[in-house]
Formats: sequence, C-alpha cells, structure tokens
Amino acid sequence: MAAYIFRRVLLMITLLFMLSVAVFFLFNMLPGDPARLTCGKACTPDLIEANRKRLGYDQPVLVQYQNFVGGIFFGRTFSADSPEPIKCEAPCLGYSFSRHEEVMSLITRAAPVTFWLAVGAFIIWLTVGISLGIFAALRRGRWQDRLTLGISLVGYSMPSFFIGLILYYFVVIQWKLLDKPEYVSPFEDLGKFLATMILPWIVLAVLYAAFYMRLTRNQVLEVLNDDYVRTARAKGLPERTVVVKHALRAGLTPIVTSAGLDLAGLLGGAIISENIFNLPGLGSLAVDSITKSDLPIITGLTLLTASLIIVANLVVDLLYAVIDPRVRLT
Amino acid sequence: MVRTRTWSLRAAAGLCITSVMLTACSGNTPASQAPGSSTGVTPTTGGEATPDTGGAKPGGTIFVLTQAEQWDQVDPQRVYTGEDLAFFGGTIMRALTAYKFSPDATEGTSLVPDMATDLGTATDAGKTWSFTLRDGLTWQDGSEVTCDDIKYGVSRTFATTVINQGPTYAIQYLDIPGPSDADTKAGYLSSYHGPYDKDNAAGQAAFDKAVVCDGKTITFHLNAAHGDFNYTVTLGFGAVPKAADTGETYGTVAPYVMSNGPYKVESYTTGNGGKMTLVRNENWNADSDPYRKAYPDKWEVQFGIDPKILDQRIMEGSGDDATAIQYGQIQPENLGVIFQDTETTNADFEGRAISGFDPYSRYYWIDVNKVKNVKIRQAMAVALDREAIRLNIGGAFAGDFADGAIKPNIGADYAPTGLWDSFFGKEIPNTGDTELAKQLIQESGEPAPTLTFNFADTPTNQKTAAIIIDSLGKAGITVKPAAIEPGQYYSVVFDAKKAGDFGTGGWGADWPNASTVIPPLFTQKGGWDLAKLDDASVNAAVDAAFAELDRGKQAADWQAINKQSAEQMWHIPTFFGLSQTIAGPKVGPIYRWSAYGSWPYGEMYVKE
Repeated sequence: MAAYIFRRVLLMITLLFMLSVAVFFLFNMLPGDPARLTCGKACTPDLIEANRKRLGYDQPVLVQYQNFVGGIFFGRTFSADSPEPIKCEAPCLGYSFSRHEEVMSLITRAAPVTFWLAVGAFIIWLTVGISLGIFAALRRGRWQDRLTLGISLVGYSMPSFFIGLILYYFVVIQWKLLDKPEYVSPFEDLGKFLATMILPWIVLAVLYAAFYMRLTRNQVLEVLNDDYVRTARAKGLPERTVVVKHALRAGLTPIVTSAGLDLAGLLGGAIISENIFNLPGLGSLAVDSITKSDLPIITGLTLLTASLIIVANLVVDLLYAVIDPRVRLT
Repeated sequence: MVRTRTWSLRAAAGLCITSVMLTACSGNTPASQAPGSSTGVTPTTGGEATPDTGGAKPGGTIFVLTQAEQWDQVDPQRVYTGEDLAFFGGTIMRALTAYKFSPDATEGTSLVPDMATDLGTATDAGKTWSFTLRDGLTWQDGSEVTCDDIKYGVSRTFATTVINQGPTYAIQYLDIPGPSDADTKAGYLSSYHGPYDKDNAAGQAAFDKAVVCDGKTITFHLNAAHGDFNYTVTLGFGAVPKAADTGETYGTVAPYVMSNGPYKVESYTTGNGGKMTLVRNENWNADSDPYRKAYPDKWEVQFGIDPKILDQRIMEGSGDDATAIQYGQIQPENLGVIFQDTETTNADFEGRAISGFDPYSRYYWIDVNKVKNVKIRQAMAVALDREAIRLNIGGAFAGDFADGAIKPNIGADYAPTGLWDSFFGKEIPNTGDTELAKQLIQESGEPAPTLTFNFADTPTNQKTAAIIIDSLGKAGITVKPAAIEPGQYYSVVFDAKKAGDFGTGGWGADWPNASTVIPPLFTQKGGWDLAKLDDASVNAAVDAAFAELDRGKQAADWQAINKQSAEQMWHIPTFFGLSQTIAGPKVGPIYRWSAYGSWPYGEMYVKE
C-alpha cells in the first residue's frame, strides 16, 4: 500500500511538471500579446516593446518558463529595472497587470467561494442522487421508478443557466423569498451564507443529481442480480442489509470515481452558477481573465484545476480499496 | 519632429478606441431589431429623455450595477473610459475644468471651471496655458490641494514604465524634448521619465520648465498651439499628493485613491460580488465646488452582475434596485419591452430609460489614392444599402444614420452636412439609390471599378460584406471581399500595400472637440488616416482650426472640414452609435450626458 502511494505521488509530481510545461508553452503560443495588456489605450509599438522587455516577455519561452517555475518556489520580481519594481513572494504564479494584483492572491481569495459552492452542491447531489437511484432500483419497473427516471431526465436536460436564471428571477426578484446573493464567509455570517448559496447549490445539484441517480440505479440493479446478493437474501438477511451493506457498497466504485472527478472539476470553478449568482469564485475569475487575455491568471487557474483533477484521481484510487474489499492496491 | 510623435501617439490612442468599435462590429451590438421599434424614423438627437429636475434632495444611496468585474482604472492618470471619467469626475476626482451637466448636447459639452477659477488663459497664441486654483480646495485628509499636487499628478503620466494604460496627452503636448533611443528602449515616451526615476535630472529640469507653479497658478508650456488645451486638462491631468502615491497599485488597493471630491473610497473589491463603496468626504469644501451637487450620501458600485439578471433587477426596480442605475447596455431582448422606439419608452418605463449616443461613429474608409475619382467614391456611398447594414448590426437601436465624421453629441462642432438630404440634389434613401450611383459612375468618365473590401472577419461583418457586394453590384461596382483576422485588422489596413480599396472603420472622440476627430481621420500625421489622405490644403485648414482660440470660430472650421469630408467622400459615414440604459424608479435625473455619453453622475440624486 505504502509503495503504491509513493509510486502514485511520484507519478503525480511528474504529471504536474509535464502539465506545467504544456500549459505554459501552449498559452504562450496563443494569439494575444500579454505585453499589449500593460499599456492600455495609448499604446505605441515602442511602449509595447519596452513593456515586453520589462516583464520578461522578450525572453525565449524556455527562460520564461524557468522564471515562472522559479517564482513558484522562490518568488520573483517584475519590472526589476523599473524605479518601482513589483515583488511577488513565493509561491508566485505571476502578476496580473490588468488587475494590479498577484495571481496567487486572486486565486486565494476566490478559492474558498468555489470550495463552498462545490462542496455544498456535492453533498446535495450525492444525497439526492444516490437515494433516488436506490429508490428507483428497488422499485424497478413500477410507477415510482418511471417517475424518478422522468424527473432525472428533466433535470439532466435543463441547462444550468436556464435553471439559474429562472430560480433567480422568481425566488429573488419576483417573490423576494431570498435577498440578492452576496457572498459572505460561513464563519462570518452563517445565515447569510446559506441564503446566498442555497440557489447556486440547487442549480449545480439538479444537473449532477440527475446523473448520479441514473448511475446509482444502474449500478444497484446490476449488483442486485449478482449471485452473492442472491446468497445474502437466501441467508435471510434483512433487505436493508442486503441493499446497503452488500449491493450498494459494491456498486459504489464507479460512483466514487465520477464523484471524485466531478468534485475536482467543480473546485476549479463553476462558471455558470458563479456568474448568475454573482459569486466571486474561480470560475468567474477564469471567464474574466479569458475575456481580457490575462495570461498569468489563465495559466495559474489551469494549473490549479488540473492539479485538483490529478489529486482527485489519486484519492479516488485509494478509496477503491476502502470501499471494495476485492480491490487490492499493489 | 515632435509633431509627428504627437500624432502617432494620438493615433495609437485612437487605435484602441476603435478596437472597441471593432468589438461592437463583431456582434456585441443588438442582434436584431426589437419588436415594436420604428423602422422608418431617423432620430437626430438620439432620443434623449427630458430630465426630471424635481425631487432632488440630499440623502440615500445610488447603486451602480455593472457586468464589469472591476473598474478599468482607478488612478487619475489612468482613467480613460468615458463612463469611468464621468463617474470619478463627479465623485472623487476633480480636474481643472469639467463639462456642464445638461441634457442638451451643446450645453453638456461646454466647459465650466472646476478646481480652476476660470477656463484658463491662453497666451503665446495658444502655446502657453495658465490656470489659477480656487481657494479652499482640500484633500480627504483635510490638507490643501496645491498647485504642486497637480504638477505631481501630471508628472506621473511620464512614468510610462509604472503608470501606463492611461491617456498620454501630457507627454504629447508639453514642451519637453522627445525620447532618445535609450529612453525608448527603456519604455519611456519622453526624455522626462516621471517622478519615480531619480537619475533623470535633465528630464526633470525640462518638466519643471514646462509645468510651472507660481502660488495658486499652474502654467503649462506646450510644444504647439492647442486652442482646446482647457479640454485636454479634463483627461489625465488630475492631482495626486506625492505622499499618497503608491505607484503601480495607486487607486486599486487600500488606502485607495486620495479624493478631493465630495466622496471618498471606503472600500473596493473586484470580481463577481465585488463592490466599490463611496461615502461622503467630510473634508470636502462645498464652497470650493459649485459644480458637483453631491446629493446621495453614498454610492455603491456592484461588479460582476450577470447582464440578464442586471436588466431584470432594474426593470423590476424594487428594494435597493429602486435607486440603481445601469452601467452598460440593456440586453437586446429587453429593448422591445422597455422602448416603443429609439425615442420613446413604454409606459412602464417612462422616465427611467434612455436611448442616446455612445461615443462612437462607424464608417467605411476609402483609400483616396486607390479610388482617386471622387465621383466613383460618391457612387459607392450612394449605392450603399445602409438600411440593410443597420438591420444587420442591430437595427435602429444600434445607431442613427451618420452624415459626416463629427457626431452630434460632440456639441458645438456638429452641424448637419446635408450629405443624404441635399448634396446630390435629391434625398438619398437609406436603402441606396442605384440609378444615381450609375449616373455618378458615368460622370466619372471611368468604367465601373472592381474594388477590394476589407473587414474584420466576424459573422456580422461577413453579412455586412454580402450586403455591400449586393448593393454596390447593382450599380455595376464589383466588390471583392477580403476578410482579415480581427486581431490583425488595423495593422493590415494601415499598411497601404496590404490594404484593400475600402473597408470598415470606427472612431470615438477623446473629448468633445472635433480636434480629436477631424485631424486624426483626415491628415496623415493623425495616424488614423485610413483614407491615406495627404492634402496640403486640408492639412493647413486642420492646423488653423487646431490653433484657433475662439471656440465659435474653431467650431465653424471643424464643421467646414467635416462637410468637405462628406462631399469628397474621404470616407462613407454610416452610423452614429446609440446605446440604451435604464435606471430604477427612484433615481434622477435621467438623461444621457453628451460630454461622456454617460449618466450625469455629479448631479444624480435619490427621489423621495
């Protein structure tokens, strides 16, 4: 087990390194001039060139990459020759000249919002999705099964932006059941936090719950037909024990895989929900940065999201062994 | 030599302004004409609402709702966008002069003194300008706003390695030697490097000679006559106290920008859910500021709001949104709900929404060196189906039909040119006049030409190109479309060897004087001369207008050149851009302030 984890961590570090190379070089080949962003409207070719030099964009891409990685571990200074250099402490992911702020501080500020959004929605969709999935599986072919499947199809079919706009319009604007969303930390004002997050959680959860409901139903149905489940029933075990302890546990493996990756993906930003409900998370930061071709922020966010996916993969793989006794990590 | 640098810089500024236009051309304008809008009416005033002057009283909070994630800039030397200049100018950043608050285009673009006691005194035939500061000007910490604070603020513009992204008119206009090669390589646009470089004694001496403080009087020595320099000082000439300056981050991080207006920044966060809150500046001396009304107790700017939600909130107009105003534009799908046509709102939104001119004009430039015959250029204009093109970019809400380079909201400099009404001896329909076009081609003595049309390659422009090919084709002119990748468009069309015969263009004035329209567009040294016009008589007329100190005479000069440009068809004027915005039911006054194409922030109030 320990050797497996060690190997996987090594692989993860290698992957992250390769990823950083790919992201950095890819984004540097995209159209758009980061130096252009530093001189706004009154931009002359001379000024662009001077700013390019000042920011190090005139260096070969390899050197820029070295500086980038060096910044992560040791920090770096932008505009070093300028009378007013900008110091970026480690871990430095870059400096946004459109926002006049370090990329790391922007991400640090936005990450908790996305974290709470993703985790809250995750709990709702798993709870609802898995419960309804088991419910439908146990009533296979009956009207409850068909109703649940129908609801999941509707939930699966409705785009997030549509549900979000509808909920916002009626719940907040028309019926005034909730105040306008305004993010606060749960540690600051739990009531306001819940009132702000409940609609975005629902929007995110509707889509995912529908998927997880169908996935769970299929898994449970498949396992319920296995010999060992029949044996468990033949032994006279209560149905609850058969379903929860035997069928569901074995059927959880693909659900855990999906859930881990979905959660990791969401932690990188839930663009639509964040934008509709005006949440200052990573998704909205990404959209704004892409709109402005703010490469340092885009690079930082891409690295962060990809890192989360890689870590989630490792966690999911480790969880397999915990959930399913048949799985051995070697 | 200096002149050339001046003009190239101005052109660069124009490039960026017009990049905004390019974005608009690429489909960010309303996609289709809204239901119920008039198709045959061509409003000439942009449908300005009548201001409600009743109910103004101190108190309350005005909420500014915007899709933007942050202000572009919050630094007196870097704020450049019209709406931002209007907001900050009305609240926390005073200038030597300002524009009068008025719904009337001419009055609303006329100058009034702000920190200065008058509109400035020009001597040396417009090469030297002096302004005397009012008594009692104060910063938010209670200290006095001095001449040196203004001088220091102006000096920051020269620190282009630190303070960039803002207007550079101080560098262009002040009598300071241009940059050496070493200066240029180091990122400076002048031999003076601004206040942060302590090893630039010669540059500092030149600056001290160009900007002189004598007690409360600040004198600017310019490198050429600029009759409208008192307009120029509204843009990037704001004061900054040296002790408060934090360089690159000034304005964006606490303690934020030092205010000398009736409000001060209490907090500022960017991104979705971000806010800027302005509260009353208790050290603002109202006696020194007859210009700003300072009615609300508080301003709250809310960033990152989804545009559809934003519209719905203000349309509903309840709770806090009753005193909210929109920074931005009404979504196309709501235009038909809010407006009957570009001049009239529906009953539910009476006195709450405006459709008025934005800062931009659109046109088709024609390379006069490639299409030399004026009759051919006129035939192109006459044959053009402008109605179909307007429908393609959003219908009547997208803009009024333009009759020249100067837009009506620029104020005194605009006068109808009569291009489509009388110049050709008859009215030219918006759908074009094929027969007259054929006649003009015949009068040219040349065969109907084959022309190459340049446009930024966007879906909207592709449809526009098809309309142009069709409408000019009916008159016998063959048009070959030559699409250009949007990011490369202007670098291609400015290169005479690569550019086609005509193409799409756009322009927005930096301040309400045609000195920021005619010279850039129709002289080569202007840098935005897509027509490639280099006519000695035109250049002389432009120089004369530039140096004219009598504002009335200057306006007449610009009007004459504008009329000439339309008649000679140096470019085909197409549309004066319109935009539509909405406010909650308890905020006023509701009108589009021509000075910046914005809300009149400095006199806005919460109604009872």
